[in-house]
Parts: sequence; structure tokens; C-alpha cells
Amino acid sequence: MSATASAPTPTRTRKIRRGPNPWVLGIVWFFALLWLVPFAGAIITSFRTFDDLNTRGFWSIPQTLTLHNFVRAWGEAGVSRYLLNSFEITIPALLIAVMFSSMCAYGLVRFRFRLATPIYVMFVAGLMLPFQVLLLPVFFLANKLHIYDTLWALIFFHSAFQLGFCVFVLRNFMKTVPFSLFESALIDGASEWMIFQRIALPLLLPGLAALATLEFTWIFNDYLWAIVLLQSDRLKPITTGLANLRGQYISDWPLMVAGSLIATVPTLIVFFALQRYFIDGLTVGATKG
Amino acid sequence: MKGKLWLVAALGAFMLVGLTQSNLSGKLIYNSNQSDPKPKAFDAKIVELFKKKYPNIQVEFNTVDHETFQNTSIRTYLASDNPPDVLTWFAGNRMRAFSSKGLAADITSVWKDNGWEKVYPKGFQNLSKDASGKYVFVPVNYYWWAVYYRKDIFKKLGLSEPKTWTEFLSTCDALNKAGITPIVNAAKETWPQGGWFDFLDMRTNGPAFHKDLTDGKIPYTDPRVKKVFANWKQLLDHKCLLENAASYTWQDAANLMIQGKGAMMLIGDFIRDQYPADRAAAELDFFRFPIIDPKLPIGEEAPTDGYFLPAKAKNLANAKAFLSFIGSKEVQEMGVTELGRLAPRTDVNPSVYAGKPWIEKGLKEIIGPADDILQFYDRDTVPEMARIGMDGFVKFLSDPGQIDQILADLESARKRIFSQPQ
Amino acid sequence: MQSAKTTPRSNRGSRMTTNLQQFFWLLVFLGLPLLLYGLWVIYPTIRTFTLAFTNYDGLSPARWIGWANFKELFQTEAFRLALWHNLIWILIFITIPTSAGLALAMVLNQGVRFDRFLKIAFYLPLVLAPVVTAMVWGWIYHPQQGLLNTVLVEILRFVKLLGFKVDPESARQIGWLGDPRLALLSVIAAAVWRQVGYVMVLYLAGLKTLDSEVLEAAKVDGAEGFNLFRYMIFPMLAPVTTIVVVISIVDSLRSFDLVNVMTLGGPFSTSEVLANYMVLTAFHDYRQGYAAAVAVILFLITFVFTLIYLRQVMAQEERRS
Repeated sequence: MSATASAPTPTRTRKIRRGPNPWVLGIVWFFALLWLVPFAGAIITSFRTFDDLNTRGFWSIPQTLTLHNFVRAWGEAGVSRYLLNSFEITIPALLIAVMFSSMCAYGLVRFRFRLATPIYVMFVAGLMLPFQVLLLPVFFLANKLHIYDTLWALIFFHSAFQLGFCVFVLRNFMKTVPFSLFESALIDGASEWMIFQRIALPLLLPGLAALATLEFTWIFNDYLWAIVLLQSDRLKPITTGLANLRGQYISDWPLMVAGSLIATVPTLIVFFALQRYFIDGLTVGATKG
Repeated sequence: MKGKLWLVAALGAFMLVGLTQSNLSGKLIYNSNQSDPKPKAFDAKIVELFKKKYPNIQVEFNTVDHETFQNTSIRTYLASDNPPDVLTWFAGNRMRAFSSKGLAADITSVWKDNGWEKVYPKGFQNLSKDASGKYVFVPVNYYWWAVYYRKDIFKKLGLSEPKTWTEFLSTCDALNKAGITPIVNAAKETWPQGGWFDFLDMRTNGPAFHKDLTDGKIPYTDPRVKKVFANWKQLLDHKCLLENAASYTWQDAANLMIQGKGAMMLIGDFIRDQYPADRAAAELDFFRFPIIDPKLPIGEEAPTDGYFLPAKAKNLANAKAFLSFIGSKEVQEMGVTELGRLAPRTDVNPSVYAGKPWIEKGLKEIIGPADDILQFYDRDTVPEMARIGMDGFVKFLSDPGQIDQILADLESARKRIFSQPQ
Repeated sequence: MQSAKTTPRSNRGSRMTTNLQQFFWLLVFLGLPLLLYGLWVIYPTIRTFTLAFTNYDGLSPARWIGWANFKELFQTEAFRLALWHNLIWILIFITIPTSAGLALAMVLNQGVRFDRFLKIAFYLPLVLAPVVTAMVWGWIYHPQQGLLNTVLVEILRFVKLLGFKVDPESARQIGWLGDPRLALLSVIAAAVWRQVGYVMVLYLAGLKTLDSEVLEAAKVDGAEGFNLFRYMIFPMLAPVTTIVVVISIVDSLRSFDLVNVMTLGGPFSTSEVLANYMVLTAFHDYRQGYAAAVAVILFLITFVFTLIYLRQVMAQEERRS
């Protein structure tokens, strides 16, 4: 793991001289383009009018290209508000998860105590949990804590549930930090908190970036929990909000597709801007095996 | 404030509405399942009017996609400690499932204060009460189900409205010959098949039998139930029904009819919301579900929609004001003029029906002659039975040969569900 | 407990205070995270297990009914179907996207031109919210307006031009999500579309960690092409393969969004999966106890694979220390 996550150095050290067979490459290109077809189809549809599509069919040359679907989705269908809610859920949940898991990782690595391994195993087991298992009790819990139908319910749940993966990744990351660094700081009179803040956190940064990129996508894309923990329209995140629009715009595919594309923009931006971190985040849990 | 209200109440129902408006304040949360475009617009308009009438009440208005609303949301609302104050819902067993568990607030006072017992017919009063006789529901509109058809297509092919089963089947044959799907059918959401089962059972065995069945008193393996499916099978044999119904939502299926690819559809009058308004007068008409056994009394379906208040609602006073408003004569008249639904109140001005000849026809040909009026399969039986039952009907459509197995499965579900205390 | 490593020079205080100090700092660093995790993950997991043995309906007090929910489960066709469909899902997931992802990684690792573009094409579905994927694919599968049938109509038109007797419009009869024979496979196809990129990423990362000297040596010895892959690379990738398989299985068992949005498990449970069945029984039928029993089964199946995963992680742990 350390190689992929900590050191994003150019890894293609040697090129194998002979490239792949042109036939093989052709097949790869075919599938790559096929994989993009849903995107292309969605983009084309979203710029066309409902009538144009309905009466003239998908293959006709569009008479008019329009931004109307996006404008309607954004305003009339309320996508702008849903999008804002998504950020209001995702960012705090992300911060809590990342902060708590760095603390946890530091604690688990820095101190030797009997429960360290069981606690670690507990987090790792949690990352595999089918989250639907938690559905009912989490609903009752949110209700009991009087945070049902508030963004807090989602923020707390997401940050807690994502702790499993975050602790798993960061704890392994922390393991690669030379222990002597902490020791010498301690001798210099720094408190544990200061060591954590000044030494451990900066060293964790590449791992944190990878993690944050991935976690942003995961939390942002959640659908189920928002259905169960929220009832007010004004609080709904984009995923649930969009699904909710199906009732109203059920046969208005251009509008629905335009809304879906808007919903994808934030995660796409994060992906393209932080692509390397995203990939590192995905692989970080797997390649140290 | 409470004391003031009491005083005002003493002044009588009429004054109540007029005077409380300045006294009520705070919040009102209203979650609605009216997510289809036209009903949603109407819903929003009602809320605006209510806000104007009670400017001090802050109304929070949420619309939830109707499938999510009835499959998931409403249960979480009612299980939570801070549910919305007002909810849309269905009369019948769907309502009783909640009121029997103490989840609906007693709104008898709303009924009494507004004098609704004088203006709502007995049938609607009964639909609105829980098992102990307390009012828990306000019906605001209802609509009939019928076979809707393209009268222009019928005319072109020289067809007339089929009255009997044999006429119905031969109409299918004629349409098939013309290359038009006789009946468009939707089963992506399973409830339209509940309608088919209701009508076929009422026409085959009579409404009384059907009521016993949905009450869980008759086994699904009863030979009389099997006869229903034998009739249904005739429709399949005559290729009356759109194949692959499970791929289509009701809107998809209605679109096929709008495009002229299909000629008939068994659906509620809300199909009018979907049909292009400028074409409806020339193209859209309906007839009563054909008679199979003329000796039987005639049952029809007229599902009633309305409102209830969760028992744990926080803003009960405001919610009751909202119910009084929504059940008022003006709002019900607006429902007729704007949505074309029928008003349960008997005192609405007949002029609101003007310019809507289909309402006259529906009252005269569907509602009027009916010996019995039912709600709907998924409103007359308990929710779990309805879900499993309608799944079974869809399964029958795709594989009619399996009917014995399907009915055996439904029967074991019925035995389990109805043996539990409801 | 030995705290030698923490304070090797514990000359600043007695061992007692060091332990106390350590406890204090443990509390600082682990307290809040554990509290959050315990409250929202551990407690609900345990609660689900206790609910599974009751007839709880979310309102009336729960009554202990022993194994009754589990007995009923295995007698219910919808549940058996859901279980079976999850199994099919797993089988498809550990074969098709896994081998496709591996093959892509092998090709793209050789440094082809435009490899960034090619990789992004396969990554992109991963970035989409599952619910958005479900809606876009719901549109692709739509019988009348969907992309897939529209393409098929065009193909049939072409076939007709060649002189065959076909009705191109008949392609619009295909109900990908409405046909009981196709619904599950159609949903899984959308899931595969998502999964291939994930597997590819994992294998690409795995390939980068391979010892290139060993590979070069093998090449000098004349190992080439498929043999090199078969006898050298694939065995060296074994740890990644384990992870890929476990992740694929767990993802299969978690599958919910696609089913819930595209088919709701229908028609008549032919695309039902455990997670959706659980939500349906909990919130539509209002049988929370019964739904919890479904959740327990889901948990137990997952747990088997989690153990495999944990073993792998712990083995790595041993090797490291």
C-alpha cells in the first residue's frame, strides 16, 4: 500500500518494448467507447427538447439544441437546492470522518495496548458491513436522539460508518511513519497532541487526500439513508431529490437526464481535479494485501 | 390563546374560520404524495391560498414521489416522533391500518365544528371513521375507474362501446385486426393490475364476494377465484392486453394510447391529467367495465383520496385549520374545476361541473347505476396482502399456466397475514 | 501491560503515571471516534440481531418469537428468490468484471497510446451515483424511448434492407426491465458497467507493485505472452485477486440502489435481492422484526467473506511486523 498511496511518483519505470497486439487494442478501444455510450446518449438527450425527441426520434438531427432542460431542472425542479444540501451533508461528514480517523489511527499506532488489535479489527470488519443491516436501528436511534429529519442524522451516520474504511487506510499509512520521529519530538517536550498535529498529520496528507477524494464521492452519492432519515423536501440531497422528481417528470426523460448530469458534476470535478488521489484511494485498501 | 379559541368556538362554526386566522400562528408541515404534474400544481395552489388565509402560519410543503411515499416514507413518518402535521392518504383499509394502531389523530372536532356530517354523504362518513367510530380522515376527492378508449379510433373502425363480455372480446379482435393494441396495460407499478382483478372479480362473482375476499374471509384457492382468472385468461387468449406490461408505468402506457398505438385502458379518471388537453374532447371517452354475469349486482371502483393527521403531529391546531380549509366547499369546488375530480360534498355548486361533460357521464353511467362502490384492491385489503397479491397478478399475466401455484402462494400469504391480529 | 515502546525513556515519571498518561491520551485520540462508531455502527448491528427474534412492527411493543421469522423466511418464495439472485449476482461479479478488469489492466499497463483516455472511459461509471446510474440505465432500457431498443430498431432496419423479413419496430417490444427473464440480468449489466473500472484500477495498482526484476529474469528465460501471465504474473497477483473477489462479493450483497430504482425487485420478485427485500418488508409491510431477520442473514453471509478478508489483512500485518 505504501508504494501506491504515499509515493505518487511516476511508476512507469520501463516501457515494455512490444506494445499489445493491435487486435487486442482494437477490442479495448471498442469497449472503452461502448462504456462511454451511456454518457454520450445522456448528454445528447439532455440538450434536446421533449417534443423533438418524442416526435422525431433519437436519431434525427436535432432541430434545436437547448439549455432549457438544465434551466428547468436547476430552477423549477429544485435541483439547485438539492445540490446545496448534498454539500451541507457531505463536507461536515467528510471532515468528521477524516479528523476522527486520523486521531484513531494515531492512537492505534502510537500506543501499544492490548485492545489495539481488536479495535482495529472491529473497524476493518465494519468496512465490509452491508449497511442495510443497520437501517432500522439507525432510524430508531436518530428518532430517539431527536435528529431525525435533520442533516445531522445523515452527517453523524455517514461519518461513523465511513470511519471503518478511513481508520483502516490511515492506520496502515501511519504504520509507515518511522516511530523515532514521534520519540524525538516527545523528548523535545512536545505533547502527544502536538506531535499528532505537527508531525503525524502532515505526514498523513497524501493518504488523507486520497481518502477524502474517495469519501466525498461515496457520501455524496448516498441514496438510501436520505430516504430513511429525512422527510422534508428542503433537506433532501441531490440523489434522493432526483429520484423524487421521477413522479413529476416521469416521461420527461430530457429533464431527468439533465438533472442527473447536474448531479454528477461535483463528483466529476473532484474526479478530474484529483484523479490520482481518487485512484490511490481506491487501491489503498487492496494492494497492500 | 387557548381560552380565546374556546370563546371563538362558542361563537359557532361559521365565525370560527373567519376569526381564528389572526390567532393561529407557528408552523405547519404538510407532506403530500401528489407528485404528478397537474395534481402537484393544484396542491401548491391550495397551500398558497391557505397561507393567504392564515398569514401567521409558516407552511412547509413537501411533495414526495407517490411510489416512494406509499412504499417507504409514510411508515418512517409515522414511526418517528416528529412526523409532518398533515399527510395525504387513501380511504379504506390503507387508512384503517394506521388508525387501528393509534397512529392517526382524532379529528372528530373538525367534523363536528364544520358541520360536515350534514354535507358529506353517509358512505364518505363511514370511510372517514376508525373502528371505534371516531373521525380520523377527511375525504377531498374521488374518481371512478372505467375503460377509457380512443373514440376517434373506434369511430374510424366502426366500433361501439362494448357492453358485455363477448362484445368486449370481439372489440379486441377487431382492433387487433387493424394492427392496434386493443388495451394498453401497465404493471411496472403493480397497482393497475389490482384494478383488473377487482373488476373481473366483481363482474364474475359480484361485489359482496369481492369484499369478503379482500377482507381475508375467502381463500384465494376457492374455485370462484379461479374462475376470475379463467376470464382474465380469455383476454390474454384474444391478445387484448399489451404484452410486457411490466415494462410500462401507467404514464408510459397512457402515452401509447395518446400516440394511437393502443385503443383502450382500464384506469382511473386521472388519465385526463396525462392526456393532451386540446385533444381529449375529440379523442378520449370511457365506458363501464363490461358485464360478465348479468344476474349479479354491479360494483364499481371509486377510490377516495384525502387527508389525515398523524397522532404525534406537533402543530395539531394548525393542522386542524388546514383540514377545515381543505374540506371546505370552496376548496372542493376548486378541485372540481381545476382537476376534474369529483367532490364528496353534496353542497358544491352544480355549476362547477359545467363544461365538463365527462363528469355528467361518469355520474350517470358509472356511479349512479352502481349497486356497490368499492375503493380499490390495495385500499380494501391489508397492505402486505395487497403487495403480494398484485405481484401474483403480474406473474399471472406473464405466465398464466402457473395460476394454480400463484393462487396457492396467495392463499398461504392470506392465511398468515389474516391470522395475525391486525 | 508493557508500554515499553511508548515510553522507552520513562525516566520522567513512575510507570504508574505513564500508564495514566497513556490512558489519558488514548481517551483523547480514541474516545470520540469510538463513541461515534459504537453508537451508529456497533450498537445498531447488535440491535438488528435482537430485533430479528421479535415480531416488532415499529409501533407496538416487540414480542420475542424465537426463530419464527427465520423459519418463515426460508418458506417464502420472495426471500428464496432474493437469495438466489444475490448468488447469481455474485457469480457474475466474480467472473465477468473480474476477468475483464484484469485483461484491461494487463493491456493498459503496457503503456499504450492514449491510455489515460482509455482508463478514464472505464473509471467514469464509478464516479456516478448509483441512483444516477440507475436512472440513466432506466432510460437506456425504456422500451419505447430507450437507447437500447432505438439502436436495435436501427439494426433491424439494416437487416430488413438486406432483404430479410423483419419488423424493425418489433424491437420496441423488448422490455428489458419488465420481462421476468431479462430484468435481473439487465440490472446486473448496469452494475457490471460500474464494476469493471473498479477491478481494473485494483489490478493496475497491483501490477505496479510486481517485482519487475523477477519478471525480467523470467523473460530472459524465455517466458512470453500468455505463459508469462499464466505462470508468473497471475500467481504474483494472487493477493490482489483475493481482495478483488471479496470486494466483488460484498458489493453484490450490498446491491440496493440499482434494484430499488430500476425495478423495485419486480416483476414479481424476479429481480429481487436481499437488501431491497429487507427494505420492502421493513417499510412497506411494516414488519421490522422480519426485516431484521433478513438483515441478519445478509450479515452472516457477508461475514464469511469478511473473515477471509480479515485473514488476509492480518497476515499482511504479521509479515510487516
